[in-house]
Amino acid sequence: MTVGLTIYVLMWPIFVGVTMFVIARGFFKEWAQARREGRMII
Amino acid sequence: MPPASEGQELLQISIPVVVLLIVLFYGGTLLMSYFISRKKENADDYMTAGNKIGFGISAASMTATWIWASSMYASAEAGYNYGVSGPIHYGFWGALMILFIYPFGKRIRKVAPKAHTLAEVMYARHGRSSQLMLAGSNVLGSVISLTSNFIAGGALFAILTPLSFGTGIVVVAAGVLLYTLWSGFRASVMTDFCQVMAMLGAAAIIIPVVFFAAGGPGMFEAGVAAGNVSPEQQSFFSSDAFMNQGAPYIAAVLAYAIGNQTIAQRLFAVREDLIKPTFITATVGYGATIIGIGMLGVMALYLGISPLDGDLNNLIPQMAGTYLGPVLLCLAFIMIIGSLSSTADSDLSALSSIAMADIYGQSKGRGKANPRTMLTVGRVTMIVATAAALYFATARFSILDLLVFVGAMWGCLVFPVISSFYWKKVTNAAFSVSVLAALVIFLPVRFEWIPVDGILGYGVELLSIVGIGVILGIMGFGFFGMKPALIIATVGMVAVLPFGFNFLRDYSVLSGSLVAYAVSFLVCYFMSFRSKENFDYSVIQKITGDFDTQNDADESEQLETSSVGNVATDKQGE
Repeated sequence: MTVGLTIYVLMWPIFVGVTMFVIARGFFKEWAQARREGRMII
Repeated sequence: MPPASEGQELLQISIPVVVLLIVLFYGGTLLMSYFISRKKENADDYMTAGNKIGFGISAASMTATWIWASSMYASAEAGYNYGVSGPIHYGFWGALMILFIYPFGKRIRKVAPKAHTLAEVMYARHGRSSQLMLAGSNVLGSVISLTSNFIAGGALFAILTPLSFGTGIVVVAAGVLLYTLWSGFRASVMTDFCQVMAMLGAAAIIIPVVFFAAGGPGMFEAGVAAGNVSPEQQSFFSSDAFMNQGAPYIAAVLAYAIGNQTIAQRLFAVREDLIKPTFITATVGYGATIIGIGMLGVMALYLGISPLDGDLNNLIPQMAGTYLGPVLLCLAFIMIIGSLSSTADSDLSALSSIAMADIYGQSKGRGKANPRTMLTVGRVTMIVATAAALYFATARFSILDLLVFVGAMWGCLVFPVISSFYWKKVTNAAFSVSVLAALVIFLPVRFEWIPVDGILGYGVELLSIVGIGVILGIMGFGFFGMKPALIIATVGMVAVLPFGFNFLRDYSVLSGSLVAYAVSFLVCYFMSFRSKENFDYSVIQKITGDFDTQNDADESEQLETSSVGNVATDKQGE
């Protein structure tokens, strides 16, 4: 029970971290592309 | 410093540090808003950023908007009340709200690629009454959401700082209005990126830190030994958690997705080919963050912590104040300020879009509406909405009651709205009458104005079972098409039949929502299936579209000049 609940509690921050990475990578790619094209990102 | 629980004290952030954090947070967002501002804002960009934002910003914005302070508080509350399965029954279904709009979102963008609001599309599809019904429910929902976020800000200030609730709501309202007012939706989504990074980063750090500071894995056995947790709360398959928390949220999955203009606005803003990755990323981001934050409530339960003043909304600030050091406490403060600000700025943008497109724009007609006046309408709407939400926050109306009401009202709209995008026979009368009929039946069931027993009880339960079929059918239709949807709906209804009667009547929140779906479906279907209407969906694209074509031309000209001169156009319109 203890191990299972520990994994259950601590797995969510890992998912959060992965999502952060995916979003940040997308943002900075688009930012770099917008700079190359001489326009605002939005 | 009031005690959080026996032997522990609640840490507070001092006033100079609070001022520094607020200046850094709102000053930073204001600076971002300034960098993307234009002297001559484009009215369409003010509402939907030109319908072409990329994956990074749109996924960040969708995630940030859907994560609001109340959802963090509610997930922790679910964990505290229902144990280990509580946060799942809050966060998982909330995440699916984003995912389930995606297939319908693709269809909506296809028929109305340049629209600004769902209500505007309903105007093109049906007419004024349908548009106003949807716009009215959107306005009500956004004002309530805005109020709720201000209240969450006030409560945060009252617990984690020496400042009062009143100071908190004014600081949050002023901060959000300041950076959103000039550039509208563009400022909202741009600042959402930083806010989501702050929120997600804080959540990823705070959850494990609190876990180990509170005793680590040992807290579970200790909690059970101390009798803090019931067997039901230890179970991942708690029927209590499902019936009271999960099931009403499943019923609300489609309602919130359709009824919330903040989602629709992002649906119209993101580049059409990026709708799928955006919605999937936001689903995972929201689910992981909110379920993760809910673990604070689970930990509080195992630790035997009593909420301050008996108010479960205090759980998160209380856990942060108890187990985090000064630096991480500031991070938690920023996380909650970020979550409520990102949703509040989205609500302001949503409200301004409705006022601009549905109230001013469509009443004047596209081509006749003045883009300058439109922008003024949008900005004045933001100021009025902020003032109204501040008033409601001060008066401390029951947000939960209002949210339940709005959620059910959106439930009445789901079938008529979705079927209008696929079924050519749906008429304006069918749309309007079905929504009103569903609302009339829902109210007495939900608020138990009439005794739901005897024959009436069976009637409500029969409608509730039909409602289950409608919800499952719509969900199945979105992903698999009509035939599988009919099978899924039928199987769902048959599965519930053996135990639905003499059972569903005991859950008024759930049966109220289900009845709303069932009645709107039945009335809309029977008023439409014999109708001679054969709607041409290409009409929608002709009626909806850009209002501000003059500024579009100015921008194109300017971009051409800038590319010829090889000079970056940092300040368009200057």
